[in-house]
Amino acid sequence: MSAQVLLADDDVELAGMLKEYLEREGFGVATVHDGEAAARLALSGGYQIVVLDVMMPKVDGIEALRQIRQTSRVPVVMLTARGDDIDRIVGLELGADDYVPKPSTPRELVARLRAILPRAKTGASGGPLEIGSLILWPEKRRAQWRGHDLALTSIEFNVLEVLMRNAGRVVSKHDISEQALGRPLARFDRSIDVHLSAIRQKLGDGARMIRTVRGLGYHLSRE
Amino acid sequence: MGRIFWKIFIGFWLALMSAAAITGTAVWLQHHREAGPPELAAGPPSRIATDLAAATLRHGGVEAVRGWLQEVQIRRPAMIFAVDQQGHDVLGREVPPGALAAARELIESGTDGQGARRVAMASGESYLLFVTRPPGPRPPPRPGPPPIAPWEFIVIGIATSLAFSALLAWYLTRPIRKLRWAFDAAAAGRLETRVSPLMGRRRDEIADLGRDFDRMALQLQKLVSAQRRLLHDISHELRSPLARLQAAIGLARQEPAKVEPSLERIEREASRLDQMVGEVLALARLEGGTATRAKERVDLAYLAANVAEDARFEAEAAGRALRFHADGDAPVMGDADLLHRAVENVVRNAVKFTRDSTTVEVNVRTTKHSAVLTVADQGPGITSAELTKVFDPFYRGEAGNGTPGFGLGLAIAQRAIDAHGGTIRASNSPRGGLEVAIELPLA
Repeated sequence: MSAQVLLADDDVELAGMLKEYLEREGFGVATVHDGEAAARLALSGGYQIVVLDVMMPKVDGIEALRQIRQTSRVPVVMLTARGDDIDRIVGLELGADDYVPKPSTPRELVARLRAILPRAKTGASGGPLEIGSLILWPEKRRAQWRGHDLALTSIEFNVLEVLMRNAGRVVSKHDISEQALGRPLARFDRSIDVHLSAIRQKLGDGARMIRTVRGLGYHLSRE
Repeated sequence: MGRIFWKIFIGFWLALMSAAAITGTAVWLQHHREAGPPELAAGPPSRIATDLAAATLRHGGVEAVRGWLQEVQIRRPAMIFAVDQQGHDVLGREVPPGALAAARELIESGTDGQGARRVAMASGESYLLFVTRPPGPRPPPRPGPPPIAPWEFIVIGIATSLAFSALLAWYLTRPIRKLRWAFDAAAAGRLETRVSPLMGRRRDEIADLGRDFDRMALQLQKLVSAQRRLLHDISHELRSPLARLQAAIGLARQEPAKVEPSLERIEREASRLDQMVGEVLALARLEGGTATRAKERVDLAYLAANVAEDARFEAEAAGRALRFHADGDAPVMGDADLLHRAVENVVRNAVKFTRDSTTVEVNVRTTKHSAVLTVADQGPGITSAELTKVFDPFYRGEAGNGTPGFGLGLAIAQRAIDAHGGTIRASNSPRGGLEVAIELPLA
């Protein structure tokens, strides 16, 4: 079954072209042109991923994201104006999974969507990853800390998985970005830090397992 | 401390010091003249003594005065002299030559009785009577506060004048320092700097300068923020066609069969970008005030008729109508191209927003001093809050979403009309729809 994408952009012409492109790439696409409809449809549960333009009339992308995140963990990608760092950071802190600058090529958007969508992991590591009280099942997209399920977003799950596979070693932010987001880290990009801080918050007393190594990256200890 | 501080400080101090020096000298000279010659004793006691001696001499003769003097001189420190024409004292004492000369001078100058007297005897001889100052320090003139030595006077004078000069210089230069600080801040880009609160209750030319500075800073702030907003809007508006270009290129890459329609799209976006850049440039030229070229006589009615004729074709193609009416010639002075552009933008805007199968009305009439062009559509109209905003660059009303255009047409029209000394206003007509009125002074 193809992944269903909800695309919200007030530029009708652009949305139409992106829909065409994504459909050829094997996605199912629905388009809306304002934030209100975007939030309503995203919460209907019929979509695996939501693409939100920040600048939209009536309810803008940031507000739509806020409404979505109140009840849903559906992966969200924001379309932000190039160079508009504030929208980017606010979006990530509100729980967006990633952003795509606008304008950028549709190929870039597809790459980002593929990285975020829950991947059917191929082969290799079938069994759960277990470090102390932290357990993660890659196929089931599930993680537990001391027997309690962790409510992680898709990207947060990816980041945690990367850290656990490399437990006991320092993983650079660049490597985390490549493996978890499927893209190289841009300069002054705070995405990984924002995701890490969200993961730590959700881990509660388990947060001390993850150590920041200034200038190098992050480190998840083995015990 | 700046130079002006030292200039005021030193200048004022020098003025104070020279004033003090001149006053001091004058007072000293005055005092000296009143004191009389130093050798002679002055004051009532010595005057009484000379009077007594004169009376004794006149009535008792030389012998009597000699006896009186001998008697008196035992008890008194001051010396009373009675000197004959040859300069010999009646008691044979040595006469101090300075005192004798001073006494003679006094008599000659006619100030008789001021401490020296001349008595002429019946024998034809005459005697000079005067009292010399007792040896030793002068007794204090009168009891009172202890006298102040001259050097103390000078030190106190210098100190107080220094203090006053410094105070005056500080008072005058303090607001100037604040102004300098404000100018520095503004030069560094902090245009929100204001001086008035720092001037307190000061009311003078320097405080006025501070208020002028505040006005200037506010004006600059407004201009800069308007420019910044415009730049932000332009860059944002440029993104939409660019994003569509990227998407069209992506589609062409994805599927070779789509190359032709994609190229058409790319062409369309490129010409849209070109058009937008052209409009932005027109706006920038108008805002810079460089757009008004040589003025000529233009008939607004004729110009509007031309625009209306062109617009009618477009309107009819979209199932709308346009009606034009002019009372007669409406001559104005201005740049025909610019005025054409302004009128065209307003008329096209009306055609765009009027509802299907409704009519846009364009009317030209003249009043006593001006030519008035009104363009009324039968569209949705706008909210009253938007009535002034429609002339802002890139402003597209809520109803305007999804319609083509960049929101620059009315902004350009407004600036063009402004450059001609006219006014442009938007209002909601009572029959519904928007009415834009352009008023230009008659030639």
